Amino acid sequence: MTASREKNIADLRLTRRSFIKGCAVAAAALGLSESMVPRLLHFQECTGCTESLLRASHPDIGKLILELISLDYHETVMAAAGYQAEENLRETMKKYQGKYLCVVEGAIPTKDGGVYCKIGGRTAMDILAEVAPGSAAIIAIGSCASFGGLQAAAPNPTGAVGVRELVTGKPIINVPGCPPNPISFLGTVLHYLTFKRLPVTDDQGRPVFAYGRKIHDHCERRAHFDEGRFVEQYGDESHRQGYCLYKVGCKGPATFSNCPAVRFNDVEQWPVSAGHGCIGCTEPGFWDNMTPFEERLPEVKVPLGEGSVGSAVSVGRKVALVTAGAIGLHAASGVVRRLVKGTAKKDEVRED
Amino acid sequence: MRRYEFTKYRAFGPLYRITHWIFAGSCLVLIFTGYYIYNPWFTTMLETGTDDFTVANIRFLHFAAGYIFLGAVTVRVYLWFFGNKQERITDALPINKRNLKNFWGAILNYLYIKFHVPRLGHNALAGTTYLVTFLLSMVMIVSGFYLMFPESASWQHWGLAFFGGQQNARMVHFIIMFYFIFFAMVHIYIAIWNDVMFGEGLVSAIISGSKFLHIKRPEVD
Ligand code: SF4
Ligand code: SF4
Repeated sequence: MTASREKNIADLRLTRRSFIKGCAVAAAALGLSESMVPRLLHFQECTGCTESLLRASHPDIGKLILELISLDYHETVMAAAGYQAEENLRETMKKYQGKYLCVVEGAIPTKDGGVYCKIGGRTAMDILAEVAPGSAAIIAIGSCASFGGLQAAAPNPTGAVGVRELVTGKPIINVPGCPPNPISFLGTVLHYLTFKRLPVTDDQGRPVFAYGRKIHDHCERRAHFDEGRFVEQYGDESHRQGYCLYKVGCKGPATFSNCPAVRFNDVEQWPVSAGHGCIGCTEPGFWDNMTPFEERLPEVKVPLGEGSVGSAVSVGRKVALVTAGAIGLHAASGVVRRLVKGTAKKDEVRED
Repeated sequence: MRRYEFTKYRAFGPLYRITHWIFAGSCLVLIFTGYYIYNPWFTTMLETGTDDFTVANIRFLHFAAGYIFLGAVTVRVYLWFFGNKQERITDALPINKRNLKNFWGAILNYLYIKFHVPRLGHNALAGTTYLVTFLLSMVMIVSGFYLMFPESASWQHWGLAFFGGQQNARMVHFIIMFYFIFFAMVHIYIAIWNDVMFGEGLVSAIISGSKFLHIKRPEVD
């Protein structure tokens, strides 16, 4: 009896997965796919975002390409190569002028005329300048295309920038992350397919449905944070207990993303649940302002000494110590002066 | 034994003195709780399963003290423009000849090089420091609100424009805390030093409002 009851319940239950699948199928049935002809441009990057996207499951990438959208040019997954591929790009650009979505992955180097990234003999800057104006909108997938990412980390040798620095006059959606959660990207695409407009974004062009909240505010370890139970060191008893990772440098309090809510690739895991703090990969310049990843605050350059680098707190402690020392010295010299010269004479004192 | 003749003058009004002590109290709380938020150093070792919400409560104290500090700053700015002569900001900024002279005079004074008779209000060096402190307080207030309301569209807008992100704002907020520690140390020392050197009753002036000067000052009534 129990078994049959369970079966009944299972039959009635609509899982999140089947719900989203249903939505996707419904969207396809409504014929929403025609307007959607995205072009994926790869620039200075590691293809991690595509790797992440290939592991998407609702809808999976096969469904996305074959049923929902017409993906005419994707340097990693397209069948065409060489001249044929470039031809494809040009063809479809002409055919769907003003209607296609341009998806950019990777940063665009701008130094020395952009020579640090070339595809088919042309620089990334050129390709973007050609493809961007005819698109309906641009989606920058990953932190590199959004904000420059690792390539743009100081000293940024190739002058790498995100799409927003180069393209104006087009709606640009940033879906940052290193890599971004495929759900955030597909959510953006499906939103566009369904409503024919781009989702609401924050000041940095990130869709608020995915980047509207801080990691810290819906992290499963937050109760430990509020209680003051912290991992002091990786591998200690507190770490085994699953306490908050704040003191080993978790950047959840400074990072906007949906990681704790949607997790990754259907394995119901995300970095903090695996025991490492968030490194803030969805924030602009995170290689510069979130490092060292296992410290609370970034290290600041101290202008004292040769290129010495100290943490903010050691700078602060030094300031306090030097102040205390200076006060001591000042007071002592006053005492010595009085011993030598006696109290200030009236004619020594000047009026203001 | 040298004898001075002191005359008691009224220097600071009650509102000015009250805001001073609110600054003192709220800064103490803000520095302590703020440092604790940076590095919560005393709880992990306690038993699990407690219900005291240490970090949450300390954050609450920090926010509450922040609002009180903001209130005191507002009153102080009002007094800078509408307070009595000593309370006005223009009385102690090196923006005229008298105060420029006083500015260098104060430096020579503190270096034990040439002593300088205390005036009824602040000297120009102090006034300049207070202005700097006020500007840094504004940075603290803006970065504080940005950190406290990260999801509010308008704070996000200004926070991004000023600091370029949450983590940078946190960094700025943290480093300026050390200015306030520095300021508190020097401020207390200088006040005591002046009292010892010139017997003007500077320390008690911020409680009673009166200073003692050992010369006749025609401009004071
Ligand atoms: S683990 Fe990180 S995100 Fe989670 S509560 Fe702690 S500091 Fe916040
Ligand atoms: S938890 Fe943080 S570092 Fe990890 S993917 Fe999410 S935003 Fe990036």
